[in-house]
Amino acid sequence: MSAGLVVAGQEARITALRVGKWFGEVIAVNNCSLSVGSGVVGLLGANGAGKSTLFKMLAGLIEPSHGEVRVLGARLRDRVGWYRNVGFCPESDALPEWMTGREYLSLMLRLMGLDRAETTRRADAWLERFELVDAANRRLGGYSKGMRQKLKLAQALAHDPEVIFLDEPLNGMDPVSRKGAIDLVGEIGRQGKTVLVSSHILPEIEAMTDQIILMDRGRVLAEGSVAEIRDKIPEHPTTVALVSPDPRALAAFLIGREHVEGVRIDDDQRVVVRTDHAVAFYRALPGWVRDHGLAVTEILTLDDSLEAVFQYLTER
Amino acid sequence: MNTMSETEIIQAAPPAPLPNRSAVGWIAWFSLREMARRRRLVSLGLINLLPVLAVLMVRIWLPDKGLTAHLQLMGLSHDMFIPFLIPVVAMAVGASAIGEQIEEGTIVYTWTRPVRRSAIYLGRLLAAQGVATVLLSLSLAMCFLVMVAGNLGVISWEFLKLYLQTFLIIGLGAFAYTALFALMGTVFKKPVLPAILFAFGYEKLVAGIPARVQELSLQFHLQNLVSRPEVVPGDIPGVLATLLNQARPRDPVPSWQSVLVLVVVAALTTVLGMQLLQHKEIEK
Repeated sequence: MSAGLVVAGQEARITALRVGKWFGEVIAVNNCSLSVGSGVVGLLGANGAGKSTLFKMLAGLIEPSHGEVRVLGARLRDRVGWYRNVGFCPESDALPEWMTGREYLSLMLRLMGLDRAETTRRADAWLERFELVDAANRRLGGYSKGMRQKLKLAQALAHDPEVIFLDEPLNGMDPVSRKGAIDLVGEIGRQGKTVLVSSHILPEIEAMTDQIILMDRGRVLAEGSVAEIRDKIPEHPTTVALVSPDPRALAAFLIGREHVEGVRIDDDQRVVVRTDHAVAFYRALPGWVRDHGLAVTEILTLDDSLEAVFQYLTER
Repeated sequence: MNTMSETEIIQAAPPAPLPNRSAVGWIAWFSLREMARRRRLVSLGLINLLPVLAVLMVRIWLPDKGLTAHLQLMGLSHDMFIPFLIPVVAMAVGASAIGEQIEEGTIVYTWTRPVRRSAIYLGRLLAAQGVATVLLSLSLAMCFLVMVAGNLGVISWEFLKLYLQTFLIIGLGAFAYTALFALMGTVFKKPVLPAILFAFGYEKLVAGIPARVQELSLQFHLQNLVSRPEVVPGDIPGVLATLLNQARPRDPVPSWQSVLVLVVVAALTTVLGMQLLQHKEIEK
């Protein structure tokens, strides 16, 4: 299956063409193709879905057994050029424990080719950005998990890359830092950069983006916005809640209509409709309201959440 | 967290990658500092006190047995540094130079910088070779101090020349063995056992076989470079006399040949290690 999170006319920043990865007899990723443009995209999958393997292949940490990965048009073969515009935040908590936060961030920037003055300027700015200035001269061995996570994020972003890979970036962060990191990722995406975020925590991804690539059993199962993916699954019902001043009349009308599988009134006096085709239902609803004098003041889609989509697609 | 506007200064074009030599230098410097902080360096330092203790014992208990500083130095390098200390120190710092970072997952940070993997390998290896050489040289320097303390008469041009030569031999040995063990650390996930088998199994076995087979060991070539005592004093106690007698290579080869073999082994294993790292994958 091919994933194409690229808007028409937009340049694909990350492309994978029929990539696969075998570990001995086990196939971790099977013939996946995808293209990702600018913005934030979530890579989702349960444990063992192949998400981590695909993510590492896209980030150049492991080589595909077959197929090809390109980032900003370049193949991994040109490693030096490739990583000039790439930032990577690993999931692993390993850091050089003996270094201070400032030393570590400065070294990462120096290895990017920055001179001493620019390194100092950027290290200071990012330490401040992540509120690590007070801990900057402490050894990393004494950092909390959340602080380490912030520093890992800082080293991935401080050189201002065009393409950023974030593997479980919010692990161990407190709620305030988490909110800040989510806002930051969104902001970077809006600047036109490409951010691929891998996570198994669905609400985290949902808070950052609605563009997702969903993996299961080594394959790309679906891609696009959560709503788009949801609409591609006609065999699975969607649940919609309609707020109306006269819920009983509305419910009575909807029973037996085309694409309506079931109707009930919930505790909030909303009419909850199960439809087998959300798009067709949404298309028909205004006509019904207009032609039959029904009153609908608000429409809420109850199961457009990633959790629901994920469960539908993976049948878990 | 602070807002993005506070970090607007960071928005700029990507910088040009570091030249290879600078990248090697930065990685070597960072790695040197990392290796110098390892706890195992303390135990290695203690092991390196063995030759110092030996020299001290000779000075205290055998001052008039004809065991000159010359002979002591040759005996130390031939029977302590070359067959034992150099492989142990090189193994401890070399086998972990690359492999440990891959196992820990910390290599990912240098991996995802615009730096050639060969530069990463070379930087780490140079740091490991530096640490090994410094450790062994410190031990040798301490031996020198013990030998000459209150006994300045032993210092002669010949003695200093021999000392310098011993430094070079130990340095060459540290370079060759460390490069070899670094390669093992890149190949094997748990390199300690193969490294021990090589250093104290293969090396000892092959170096002890006469004729040309012994030339297949690094130990033989290092020992071949050690100046040989012309006369072994007869009144030296049994064990020491035996050791000094052994200090004469059975079938010597020209020194240039031994130097060449050691340099080629160091260069070849380094190139092989760099090639292997090109295709190494980070699974953590």
